[in-house]
Amino acid sequence: MAMRKKRFDAFPYLLLLPAALLMLAVNLTPIVQGFTMSLLKLNQFTLGQYLDAPFVGLDNYRRVLFDADNPLRHGLGLALRNTALFTLTVSVLAIGIGLAVALLMNRDFAGKGIARTLLLLPWIVPSYVVGTLWGFMWQRDVGIVNVVLVDWLHLLSERPFWLLGSNSFWAIVIPTVWRAWPVMMLIFLAALQSIPEEPYEAATIDGVSRWKQFLHITLPLLKPVIVIQLMFQIIDNVYSYNIVSMMFGQGAGYPGEWADLLMPMLTRQSFNYWLFGQGAAVSFITMTLMLVFVGAWLKAFRRSMTGDD
Amino acid sequence: MNAWPARTFATGLLGASLFASAACARAAELNLWVMSTTEQQQQDMRELLRPFIASNPTLRVNVTVLNWESAWAKITAAAASGQGPDVLELGTTWVAAISSMGALEPLSEQQQNEAGGAKAFFPVMWGTTHRLDDAKVFAIPWYADARAAFYRTDVFKKAGIEARDAFANWGSFKQAMQKINGTEIGGKKIAALGYPGKNDWNVVHNLAPWIWNAGGDVLSSDGKRSAINSTESVQAIVYYTSFAAEGLVPRGALEKDSGQIESGFFNGQYAVIFTGPWILKQMRTPKAKGGQLETVTAANFGIAPYPAGLKGNQTFFSGSDLAIMKSSKNKTEAWKLLAYLTGRDSQVSFSKMSGMLPTRLDAASDPSLMSDPHYAQFIAQVKNGRHYAAIPGWGPLESVYLKNLGNMFDIVGGLKGKYSALAIKQAMDAAAQEADQVLSSSR
Repeated sequence: MAMRKKRFDAFPYLLLLPAALLMLAVNLTPIVQGFTMSLLKLNQFTLGQYLDAPFVGLDNYRRVLFDADNPLRHGLGLALRNTALFTLTVSVLAIGIGLAVALLMNRDFAGKGIARTLLLLPWIVPSYVVGTLWGFMWQRDVGIVNVVLVDWLHLLSERPFWLLGSNSFWAIVIPTVWRAWPVMMLIFLAALQSIPEEPYEAATIDGVSRWKQFLHITLPLLKPVIVIQLMFQIIDNVYSYNIVSMMFGQGAGYPGEWADLLMPMLTRQSFNYWLFGQGAAVSFITMTLMLVFVGAWLKAFRRSMTGDD
Repeated sequence: MNAWPARTFATGLLGASLFASAACARAAELNLWVMSTTEQQQQDMRELLRPFIASNPTLRVNVTVLNWESAWAKITAAAASGQGPDVLELGTTWVAAISSMGALEPLSEQQQNEAGGAKAFFPVMWGTTHRLDDAKVFAIPWYADARAAFYRTDVFKKAGIEARDAFANWGSFKQAMQKINGTEIGGKKIAALGYPGKNDWNVVHNLAPWIWNAGGDVLSSDGKRSAINSTESVQAIVYYTSFAAEGLVPRGALEKDSGQIESGFFNGQYAVIFTGPWILKQMRTPKAKGGQLETVTAANFGIAPYPAGLKGNQTFFSGSDLAIMKSSKNKTEAWKLLAYLTGRDSQVSFSKMSGMLPTRLDAASDPSLMSDPHYAQFIAQVKNGRHYAAIPGWGPLESVYLKNLGNMFDIVGGLKGKYSALAIKQAMDAAAQEADQVLSSSR
């Protein structure tokens, strides 16, 4: 189709300019400031000078990346392992449960509206409240989880610890999934409702089973949504902080070898150990890695997201 | 958007503030930051400051109450930016750090004498007003926190145990706990001892007296290296954790925090806990006002010192000091306020409000406080106190210990390998290594 060439009109851009500049300032200022901090020797003694603190070039980056004796790096390996497992588990479960429930909700039944609203409840609870709340629920002696598992259902003979030992991994995964899946469901439900009826009707006439319809019609049509949600889940979970920090002594304790994630670990060790310059360097490295990941993801899935061929 | 209302408002505000500053030209304004230590800190502070305001009508004191959890971040931010209050409360372990940042006004010889000087205070508290390696004083002790053993007299009686013998030394204490464990009171079995494990702010404070009493320390005497993995320190940690490993502390306690352990004591779950003077106030306050007065525990408890190890029976002392910020524009008035708050009468009043101890010896032995026999008993037990070394890098060091000692309870609970003295020693070696790295990076 031939398009008539339009004259460039600057007016809309002018209208957008103030907002764009403000957004840029709000986003860019902390990034530039953070990067500047990462080039300084910023500790307890130099914090008072702030941006006038001694310039050390890339030394903070060297210490973060290559100095094995650096206290900031203590437990980094464990935190990376936990974050990877955590992100994988939570993302898969949240999207899986969200999609399954969305399929169930995508039909007509009485009380559908109420059911949908009720299912969304966990998502409304702020994540730090979720952390505190589940912190109580996981208590070995009095927590509701053990009361249900041990006293009511007799599934276990002995009360397990959830906040000590390796179970603490599940103690952070389950509440995170619990809070994350409802919004996944909502988004999948919206996507499902935009899929036209006709392909299903045709398939049914041809005698295609429901499962095959799901595999060959629903799933491919949902792919753009799944791909973008998976990306958001990965970003959210790699940056997960609130639930871990609230659940284990509200910042007092150490979540332990199985529940210490990257963000709580880096925050704890750069702030509590007063390694502010290094903390800034780590933040910058994490941000860069995330940008690369998002860029690669978008490039890899651009076609399926935009539907362009 | 219509800018006129905003502009009119701004002009009005400017006019009003000019007017206000003209009207109050003579009234100095002081900003005071304190931590929330009492139930209603804001009201209590107003009450505490009433006599001061009455005798200084030209002064205005604005009180800001900080939470302990967020106070450190706010205070370091204030210290770094130089935008802070005139007078501020500092945890005793923070004075060295904040003064090293150059944020505090040194107190002159004359001011120190005016406040009573070193001899007027618990020596251990005066030690927190300056750095270990520098005699320059930056703060005056305000209130103190010390720990002692609280035990159930009825349980001890039923088990046929004399408290004096039980708390005599480590050997007798272990035996007493073994004998008491499982004693039935009102048809309910009581555990011998309760202490918190992993998820708690007090992990280091709870272990420190045991380490000191074994002859160990958390820090080498020159303050440069960790000593948490020395033979004595490890011995103490093994002794302390053995109570949990042997079932004398219920397993569930290992994930609890101090507050939960205290309520467990009030509810009759534990026969002995180690904690601070604030629970005396709780046990004097009726339940309707949030206290524990009507509990069986409140009617049947006694106070004892830490059982003696090979090197004594010291307790852990901490608390808060008051300091003047260098950025204060009203240093003379700020000093007046500081001197008032750390004076004898204010300390006695604040002790009654908070349940914490006065730091002045004359205030601590004030008849109105000593008339409570439990208070008198408590004061008698904590004469022998000790504080951490006042080094600028204490904060990071405490964080390292908090993390490592907390994590150790995975071993104690049998959730990470088998509990043994060797496993504890290895965990402490790792803690010392991390602590040394932090110490060398904070220099």
